[in-house]
Amino acid sequence: MYNKLKIGRAELNLTQQGLAEKIGVSRQTINSIEKNRYVPSTILALKISELFGKPVNDIFILDEIDYKKESV
Amino acid sequence: MANQTYIDNEHSTIYKILNFRLPHKFKAIGILGAILILLFLVGSKFVGSHSLIVKDVLRSLILLFLLLASLSKDKIEDEYNLYLRFQSFVIAFVFITVYSISIPLIAILLDVAITKITGDGSVSFYEISAFEVLFIMLGIQLLCFETLKRFGRVQ
Repeated sequence: MYNKLKIGRAELNLTQQGLAEKIGVSRQTINSIEKNRYVPSTILALKISELFGKPVNDIFILDEIDYKKESV
Repeated sequence: MANQTYIDNEHSTIYKILNFRLPHKFKAIGILGAILILLFLVGSKFVGSHSLIVKDVLRSLILLFLLLASLSKDKIEDEYNLYLRFQSFVIAFVFITVYSISIPLIAILLDVAITKITGDGSVSFYEISAFEVLFIMLGIQLLCFETLKRFGRVQ
């Protein structure tokens, strides 16, 4: 899975710290999500989606490999 | 329906236990306390004035302080921290299991090799103490947790 968190953040002119404060997590959490090191929970994904004013699917996008994982 | 309620209650109880954390200040208290007692124990080794009971009590206190540090919250406690904490516990558990299996075996192999080379000595089983296991496990957990958190800071 990849995400467009950085783009969404840039559109709202938010820093990692700013976004982290708005959704009540640490800056490390935002950094790790942006770097695809951590997949957020549904609750956190929905909070980000609400803040960005976009559907979750537009921010978090499944890769081909994610579909392959399901079929294994 | 009643069965569902029972399962729900069990589930929430387990989650309450899993999510139990001490306030952030306990991290500093735990680490500082453990280091001070450890230094005191190392220092007393040269003096050799303490009885075995005192040493055992101090060792238990080290473990207690490390546990306090291990169970304490971070400044900002969120789901990523929880994920890293669980990962660090898994790493520590696997490490100490491998350590507990391999160290006595290595000790036996070394004993056998030394006995064969020198022609004297004996082969003995190296017993790992509970303190050694818990001290290493808690130490590895704290180190791994801090290291994994540092990875999250890298831009």
